[in-house]
Amino acid sequence: MTQQIELSGVNKYYGAYHALRDINLSIPKGAFVALVGPSGCGKSTLLRSLAGLETISSGDLVIAGERMNDMPPRKRDLAMVFQSYALYPHMTVEQNLTYSLRIKGVKKAEAKKAAEEVAAITGLSDLLHRYPRELSGGQRQRVAMSRAIIRHPKAFLFDEPLSNLDAALRVHMRKEIRALHDRLGATSVYVTHDQVEAMTMADHVVIMRAGVIEQQGRPLDLYDRPANRFVAGFIGSPAMNFIPARTSDDGTSLILDLPGAPVLAMDLDLPPGHAVSVGIRPEHLSLATADMPGFNVPVAAIESTGAATFVTTETTPEIVLVLNGRSTVSAGETIHLTFEPKNIHVFDAGSDQRIEVGTVLTQAKTAS
Amino acid sequence: MRRILSTVRDGRGFDIVLVGVPFAFLFALAGLPLIYNILMSFQEVDMFSLGSFIRPFVGIDNYVALFRQPETWPILTNTLIFVVGSIAGQFVIGFGLALFFWTNFPGASWLRGLFLVSWVMPGLVVGAIWNWILSGDFGVLNFFLRESGLIEGNIFWRSDPIFSLWAVVIANIWLGTSFNMILLSVGLSAIPGDLYEAAEMDGANGWQRFWTITLPMMRSTIGAIIALGLIFTLQQFDLFAAITDGGPNNSSNVAQYWAWDLSFRQYDFGRGATISVIMTVFVMFAAAVYVRSTRHEVRG
Amino acid sequence: MSETARNRLMLAIALIMAAIYLFPLYWMYVTSLKSGSEMFANPPSFWPSSAQWQTFAFVWESRNMGRYLWNSTVIAFGSVALIAVLGTGCAYVLARYRNVWVDVGLFLILMLQVLPASLMVTPIFVGFTQVGLLDYPRLAVILAIAAKSMPFFVVLVRATFMAVPMELEEAALVDGNSRVGAFFNIVLPLARNGILVSAILIFMQAFGEFVYSKSMIQDVSLQPASVGLNSFMGPNTSEWNNIMAYATMYVTPILAIFVLLQRRIVSGLTSGALK
Repeated sequence: MTQQIELSGVNKYYGAYHALRDINLSIPKGAFVALVGPSGCGKSTLLRSLAGLETISSGDLVIAGERMNDMPPRKRDLAMVFQSYALYPHMTVEQNLTYSLRIKGVKKAEAKKAAEEVAAITGLSDLLHRYPRELSGGQRQRVAMSRAIIRHPKAFLFDEPLSNLDAALRVHMRKEIRALHDRLGATSVYVTHDQVEAMTMADHVVIMRAGVIEQQGRPLDLYDRPANRFVAGFIGSPAMNFIPARTSDDGTSLILDLPGAPVLAMDLDLPPGHAVSVGIRPEHLSLATADMPGFNVPVAAIESTGAATFVTTETTPEIVLVLNGRSTVSAGETIHLTFEPKNIHVFDAGSDQRIEVGTVLTQAKTAS
Repeated sequence: MRRILSTVRDGRGFDIVLVGVPFAFLFALAGLPLIYNILMSFQEVDMFSLGSFIRPFVGIDNYVALFRQPETWPILTNTLIFVVGSIAGQFVIGFGLALFFWTNFPGASWLRGLFLVSWVMPGLVVGAIWNWILSGDFGVLNFFLRESGLIEGNIFWRSDPIFSLWAVVIANIWLGTSFNMILLSVGLSAIPGDLYEAAEMDGANGWQRFWTITLPMMRSTIGAIIALGLIFTLQQFDLFAAITDGGPNNSSNVAQYWAWDLSFRQYDFGRGATISVIMTVFVMFAAAVYVRSTRHEVRG
Repeated sequence: MSETARNRLMLAIALIMAAIYLFPLYWMYVTSLKSGSEMFANPPSFWPSSAQWQTFAFVWESRNMGRYLWNSTVIAFGSVALIAVLGTGCAYVLARYRNVWVDVGLFLILMLQVLPASLMVTPIFVGFTQVGLLDYPRLAVILAIAAKSMPFFVVLVRATFMAVPMELEEAALVDGNSRVGAFFNIVLPLARNGILVSAILIFMQAFGEFVYSKSMIQDVSLQPASVGLNSFMGPNTSEWNNIMAYATMYVTPILAIFVLLQRRIVSGLTSGALK
């Protein structure tokens, strides 16, 4: 597959501040890539560098085979949907849509026809002569999208386009944007701080922190095999539980630093007494009957959404688990927890990097 | 060449052109004169040496001579009285009006804006009107004062050395009050209403709320307004030209009017420049205070 | 007390205060309509017994006001044009970026804003004499006013540009426009009102300017109305009805513009002056 956008060794400095650190990223034609991370991680800077609104300090930025490092935005042929939509308030919807065409010198009649076609796709046909201030939030969002679509650009850039919408509309637009992407066969780069958005919409998710790409890959790969503790904690909601642990003296098992927790026997390539962090997702913990293997923990708090029940334990560190439906468990009670050994993740306590482990067996006996 | 053109179209060059030309203009017409002013204050400049660049250098003679002149100290004192009197009057009346209009009844903001006509009128017209109002025998102010029993005989505002400076102060207070009021209104309306609700819940009465919430919250606004008042008062020239002409016998003369008078009536440009330099230092100081008190807003 | 009663009472007090405050203006209009003898009546009359409208025509003719006002207009338009052309771009750049250079530029602008004309006129006059600019006295005054008022304009217009979201300009760039194109197509139209209001404020200032005109324009036929008014008011004048008629004809256009655009002018002024 041809690469539509390629970044290699890209760095960006603001004075002494190192905003992007050695970014390498290839985006094939037709892919939907999500850039996700906490605020200030550099995802927006990266997107704006693609657009040409920021100049990169070093490295190579290639779009459709052409090096674009110093090209002004107008020569890059990319379309961008802004968080605030950035609709021109002094122009009607139609003028907003055709603005880029008019700059290119497209004939009036042609531009009008193009606007009508795009409006038909996005359901704006009746609104072409309104001004942005006369539109609802969702309609403005559509105008912003249409303004990008009408150009048939080399790629679409989205800068948190859904964050100004209410929850229900956001879920709806998620599907709509993805459907539009597939229909147009477009290449899209989508910035969001919402990992759910990234996971549900993208083919390829790029997780960033402090200007560095922490991990990139297919959404479920990131969920199943997070490369480090940051990614593990960032993907999934509620967040993964981390329990400190260390290797046993004979180096064949992990001893969790949690009273009553089982010892995990496994193939380890670590020195004895090595400190690690064991991660287990809330949805991978379950209640067990007293006769099954597991461990006892007291309950601190119960929250229920009706569809699921979130249990927080009174341990250090606290553990969160998610139970389907309702539960009779109440605060102050002691519950018996169990998990499938294959669902644990092990991270080095010093470097936070993932440690691959072989088959894991739970030992019924608790550590002494 | 193409590179320069393209940066002007697409890059930083555009900003540099936009900001460079005006700054060059300002440097030529404000920066250079400032420097030239300092230079002239060390020279002897009169009608004859006006056109030449090489003039006798006199060191600090201008400064020494200036402070030996008998009228210097009275004029500087006048300047101080004019500044303090004007600012105090403008601020107190302006604050009172701003507090009144803050109660926000229908029509308040329109009426409040109307007050600003005193500020947009040409200073010379304001001066002419007040000259007439303050006239001794036929002035309407004297009429009001007599009718209300405050005075018995007419006050000769413009020609009595005791009152002449105050005549200009009164006119200047009228001129500047509305501007103070508008800016203070902005400051007042920026105080979040829930602070007052919280204070009311805490049991503060109206008077206490004013002292514990309004005034502290207005501190930076008040600082900026007083500094602005100082700047505007030191710029006031037209009223002197229209009301007293600095007289009688310099009793209403102030530094900024005197500087002009020395240069353009007595043709002693060197000494005019000397006064200008001294006053410019004062104004710069006021400006620095103003910038400081609005600094957080400048950075926004 | 009910809400409406309270509002009415407040409005009544406000009207009385406005009447007191604006009395000098009223007095100008009333005096201009009085006859020579009524003007000096004791007690003064607060409504002209027989309005002397012909005073205006007399003053207009005898003082040659048409020429004075024309000169004021030329000077004011010249200054506003120069300030708007140079100051708008400057304000835009100072609004768009936030760094040390912008802070320095703003500081310089604010410093220049405060320099009194009566102090600057000495070096400007001497300098202009030497470079020969005083041969074109109205141009000289326009240049001096532009240097004096541009900082104020920049401060006001900068506040306007700050209110235009940066994303709009960025959207235009991504949509294929150049910096120049985006500035003229998107940013300027959106800041138009603020620029217009600031220009009107500057116009009103320049229309009443006195110090520079008085000092630099010797030729009566080129002097503006402020200088004309000054020479009309001799030290012992008694023509107050004529002077007030002059003042009326001079300020009424300005006041009309102000009252019509009051809301916009006040908000434009307050958004910039404290920032």
